Amino acid sequence: MPDLSPVSIARPTGTRFSRVLGIASLVGIAWLVVFGLFLSPNDATQKAGVRILYIHVPSAWLAYLAFIVTGVSSAAYLFKRTRSLTWDRIAGASAEVGVLFMGVTLVSGSLWGRISWGIFWTWDSRLTTTAFLFVTYIGYLAVRGLGGTHQQRARRSAIIALLATLEVPLVHFSVKWWRPLHQQESVAEGKLDGLMLFTLFVGIIAFTLLYVWLVLHRQRVLAMEDALDDQGLDVALAERRAEGAQV
Amino acid sequence: MDLSPREAVPTAQGRKRKRPWLAISVLVVVFVAGGLMVAKFLTSAVDYYCNVDEIGTKSGCDVGRNIRIQGTVQAGSVEKASSGATSFVIEYHGVSMPVQVGSEPSGIFKECIPVVVRGRVAEDATGKVFEGDEVIVKHDNSYDAENKDRVEQANAEAAQCSQKG
Repeated sequence: MPDLSPVSIARPTGTRFSRVLGIASLVGIAWLVVFGLFLSPNDATQKAGVRILYIHVPSAWLAYLAFIVTGVSSAAYLFKRTRSLTWDRIAGASAEVGVLFMGVTLVSGSLWGRISWGIFWTWDSRLTTTAFLFVTYIGYLAVRGLGGTHQQRARRSAIIALLATLEVPLVHFSVKWWRPLHQQESVAEGKLDGLMLFTLFVGIIAFTLLYVWLVLHRQRVLAMEDALDDQGLDVALAERRAEGAQV
Repeated sequence: MDLSPREAVPTAQGRKRKRPWLAISVLVVVFVAGGLMVAKFLTSAVDYYCNVDEIGTKSGCDVGRNIRIQGTVQAGSVEKASSGATSFVIEYHGVSMPVQVGSEPSGIFKECIPVVVRGRVAEDATGKVFEGDEVIVKHDNSYDAENKDRVEQANAEAAQCSQKG
């Protein structure tokens, strides 16, 4: 009978690489706090309110990245030559972290909106499509929890992920396709003052390290959950066989 | 042979048989929320606002209709009453329109800043006036460091803001 004690299943999710990555993430976030709160200047119009930019924009970009990784991993699962449940677990882990970052984007954007626009929320094209993207990926995560075998979960969620990925460009280009309240692109058009731009890149680096660290650990936890399920099945089969042998 | 019913063994396999009510409930909420967002988007976000110079000329930007208009607050035009009511003039592409709102605009509202005002255009013998319900500041995509040396330059730019439209 397989040993179901937590020790055999719960091997550590950390490796030397992930520990270094975790420390680098912490250093990056500390670096962001120093630059974002103390070294970067106030904006001429928004004053200190501009500092939300260093959380809002990196979290939005990382959410896009997370959802694209989910889409690519899902495609890799659906493609027969590369089919592996590891891709499915990476897709799931990335979507979870993406939802987290998208939530941070919506909350920080709402606070920033109150400071600069004077309102927490409006049904502007960028805001609406972002909220829709957030809700879509919550739905994706719910679909992953509907049950069935690992393969059933992987197939149905991969199809949904591929469809959901199409929303990412919709959100990004919504400021160009419609007439929004939300401002147009700043970084690509060189509209950020030097130290502000540098602080924004610090934020992007810190959040990217954090994203990779979170996805690494989360996909390992998902692998352990799947292993636990599989062991449960093995135990059930072994018990039925044992009963059959007694008859 | 022992025919007594087996006791259920709490293995991990049992997790799969569990009815996923939480996931189903979340999906229902997601569908409802998504539907509401699409409805809101189609009714208000597609054509978010009219420019001042489009009032009375572009379809949907009609006098008397509930709309949002965009323009830049003209320098020296902001007047605040003791009641909190505020009036100012907004301008876009050389066309201007007086605006009256019942409360003091919040956010970073000031002269020479782009705004979107929700309300309706009223017209009488003296001309058109926009009766606003809500003022939203529309910040552009430029970020410049606050610098005391630039105050004079900024003041000079502010004086010219109404010319930009």
